[in-house]
Amino acid sequence: MAGSNEINANESKMVVPLNTWVLISNFKLAYNMLRRPDGTFDRHLAEFLDRKVPANVAPANGVVSFDVLIDRPTSLLARIYRPATASAAVALLPDLCRPPSPDPFPVIIFFHGGSFAHSSANSAIYDSLCRRFVSLCSAVVVSVNYRRAPEHKYPCAYDDGWAALRWASGEPWLRSGKEAKLRVFLAGDSSGGNIAHHVAVRAAKSGVEVSGNVLLNPMFGGKLRTESEKRLDRKYFVTIEDRDWYWKAYLPEGADRDHPACNPFGPNGAKLEGLPYTRSLVVVAGLDLVQDWQLAYAQGLKKAGHSVKLVYREQATIGFYLLPNTDHFYRVMDEINDFVSSNL
Amino acid sequence: MSRSDLGTDPYDSVEDDRWIASASASRGEIDSLLQGAGYRVCSTDLRHVAIGLEQLESAMVGDQCVASSAEAIHYNPSDLTAWVDSMLSELAPDPHLPRHPHITATANTWADPTQQRPSLHGLENHHQHRSVPAVSLQSMDEEEDAAIRLVHLLVSCADYVQRGDSEMAGSLLGQTRLALARVNTGFGIGKVAGYFVDALCRRLYPPPLSAAGGGGSAANPEILHHHFYEACPYVKFAHFTANQAILEAFQGHDRVHVVDFNLMHGLQWPALIQALALRPGGPPLLRLTGVGPPSPDGRDALREVGLRLAELARSVQVRFAFRGVAATRLEHVRPWMFQVAPGEAVAVNTVLQLHRLLGDRASPEGGDAAAAEPIDTVLAWIVGLKPKIVTVVEQEADHNKPSFLDRFTEALFYYSTMFDSLEGGRAGGSHRGGHHHHHHQQQQQTVAEAYLQREMCNIVCCEGAARVERHEPLARWRDRLGRAGLRAVHLGSNAFKQASMLLTLFSGEGYCVEEADGCLTLGWHGRPLISASAWRADDDAALPCDHQTLLVLQDHSSSVTSGSNNVVDGDDHHLRQHSVVRNNDTGSGSSCSRV
Repeated sequence: MAGSNEINANESKMVVPLNTWVLISNFKLAYNMLRRPDGTFDRHLAEFLDRKVPANVAPANGVVSFDVLIDRPTSLLARIYRPATASAAVALLPDLCRPPSPDPFPVIIFFHGGSFAHSSANSAIYDSLCRRFVSLCSAVVVSVNYRRAPEHKYPCAYDDGWAALRWASGEPWLRSGKEAKLRVFLAGDSSGGNIAHHVAVRAAKSGVEVSGNVLLNPMFGGKLRTESEKRLDRKYFVTIEDRDWYWKAYLPEGADRDHPACNPFGPNGAKLEGLPYTRSLVVVAGLDLVQDWQLAYAQGLKKAGHSVKLVYREQATIGFYLLPNTDHFYRVMDEINDFVSSNL
Repeated sequence: MSRSDLGTDPYDSVEDDRWIASASASRGEIDSLLQGAGYRVCSTDLRHVAIGLEQLESAMVGDQCVASSAEAIHYNPSDLTAWVDSMLSELAPDPHLPRHPHITATANTWADPTQQRPSLHGLENHHQHRSVPAVSLQSMDEEEDAAIRLVHLLVSCADYVQRGDSEMAGSLLGQTRLALARVNTGFGIGKVAGYFVDALCRRLYPPPLSAAGGGGSAANPEILHHHFYEACPYVKFAHFTANQAILEAFQGHDRVHVVDFNLMHGLQWPALIQALALRPGGPPLLRLTGVGPPSPDGRDALREVGLRLAELARSVQVRFAFRGVAATRLEHVRPWMFQVAPGEAVAVNTVLQLHRLLGDRASPEGGDAAAAEPIDTVLAWIVGLKPKIVTVVEQEADHNKPSFLDRFTEALFYYSTMFDSLEGGRAGGSHRGGHHHHHHQQQQQTVAEAYLQREMCNIVCCEGAARVERHEPLARWRDRLGRAGLRAVHLGSNAFKQASMLLTLFSGEGYCVEEADGCLTLGWHGRPLISASAWRADDDAALPCDHQTLLVLQDHSSSVTSGSNNVVDGDDHHLRQHSVVRNNDTGSGSSCSRV
């Protein structure tokens, strides 16, 4: 039965708990059904299968959430997560839009993953993660429901990210500290990490101050097939083939993977030297097949003179941050907390 | 963060309101982490699911997986075990595929989960769920402040009303009206606030009894409803989702009977009649019984609708019979009025009706009153009809909370979102037609708002039997319908897709269809506003009231001539007779024996 075509599930089973394996394999199976060879995407089935949760202004574990409309023409929504207010009174919008504390607090603009095509701000897995960030960092989290590929290609996701950052900059209640300023962190996993990077570049070019970037398994790539891609192809839930599909869906028609959106430090990348680009925390999973690109990214930032903290979890797979059931999860959450609090 | 926020231990089998698990949860302990991700899987089933996923993966690589085809229909993705099993059962049997549990031991080892730290994210038993509308906070500062103050004033006023302090309430009302003047009442929160101010005013200073009850215009409710139907997709969504479920339930039956709890203009039925006409194998004999209020002006509105539908059915060659049942209140209706014949497949269709049968809730936690409410009686005889399908559409909101202030606030946000969608959703279909079309749409929107205003007014101004808009969320309906002996029929990806596609075609961006535990919801900007679900009677739950029904039928058949339309005005002894409409009228004869 062993053939070159066959996906070998055995290796991935050894490195993740059973429920994680089920979760990620379930996504993998579903996603395989949604991607069509001709480049189209079964969006209806995708939305049907995606597990979503509504916003909730009633506190759950001390966190409340509510949705805001950032841009009406594009129906750009974001879900705001914040610590519950002290009063027991009915939470109205005016009460929710007050600073959670008199002390400086971080505002984390979060871009969910999904390889630019999957998931939403109200997907259950990302709702959980954002709630955790609130508890972890006493932060206000803004989870952006950016437009997705293939219906909306580059640069839609970046534009939406930028709109969210501009929106946050205009909200008085998100400012804190003696200087009353927005202490914003851009964060994201997978494609969300990619978006965080590009929004940070635009921020640097526009003079908007960003306190830090948190990139979890960020999605980068290039034309070249790297060693990690070849070594890990099909072994830990992800394949080169699916990566290629998602890039093709996101990048402009006719572009290749050396497009700067995909390969920011590649032949077509913009120079970041001299720009007031923010500091970054880059988390790389040792079993993620695109790690060579992620490590090259971290290197690229360093070479351009920007601060990078690299956290490399050798035995972690993609999606390790979705369920709180491994050391990887807890150690990385600690790293994020340290990074945010020390750059506040 | 205070540690007291930790909540309960994550391994307690605490029910998380978000994923109301009905029957299946009792089998064993649900994996709490997967539950947080939106999936209900018993810990004991994990291995089975994993093996299934692996098999499906292999099958897809080998191009054998039927489930990857576009025609496959998926149901209730939260029930991962069932989802995987159903796809496996569609696989072409392949002798080479390893069948569990013969998979070798090495393939069965998974890494041990790390010793759990006390999770900051333990499941919390949160009964409460509240949404506020996804408002645009990026508006002019002054405007924004005025709107926020207005909302605060409104809620404070409602608070005083609840406390019975009419003096303070009245004074605040005055201030609210002043604040209203500073806000643009043409759109957004200002518009909705205006209606709520009026409603509070009515509650505080009720008009003399001679004025139109329930607030709002004296306009014909069917006309208001028709405009609401046209102006936004909620009712259309309800209709085609329900029709889809009814169609599927009617498969294989050649005599079918639809009971519509609120006929109105019968807008739901042309599509069903046409779909039945096109059914492979030919259409069944279709009977439709429409319930509605008696016509005030001596017309027989129900019959008129029945005639139109009969005409349509005739044109597509569907044998059709209609009966109208006029009743001022739903609880006056009795099952024998439908004259369900043995062997008929029955569909009971209730769109935005069941909530009218609810009463006051006994306690803030939502425990239900001990005495049997009208809803229980009606649900019992619905089950007694042994329907193949019961389609239920309800507003997704809790407007029946015991506290007036809670109801008021919830309604404020619900209708704010609704109104926002009326405003914003228009953009979608308005590419064609010029000024005239735009004007027409504007008119429609205005009348649609009047429709909603009636609901709002009822919620705010009325109490007791007069308050009929007792909307409750899907979670509560699930419990109630389950207790009555109904089991969910899951709405699948085909219904979802149809709903989504129709929305894209006819409405603006901003609407969202979502699947939740086998039911579908339609919302605006992420907030579900209406839910559609389908149910069937549990086989053992069907009560033996069939007997009684039959007896009564026989009793009445002897006294009824060529058909009857039973008008019930609270006194069962008054029966007025109207003719039954049939499109293949073969002359006189008791309608009971004919079908």
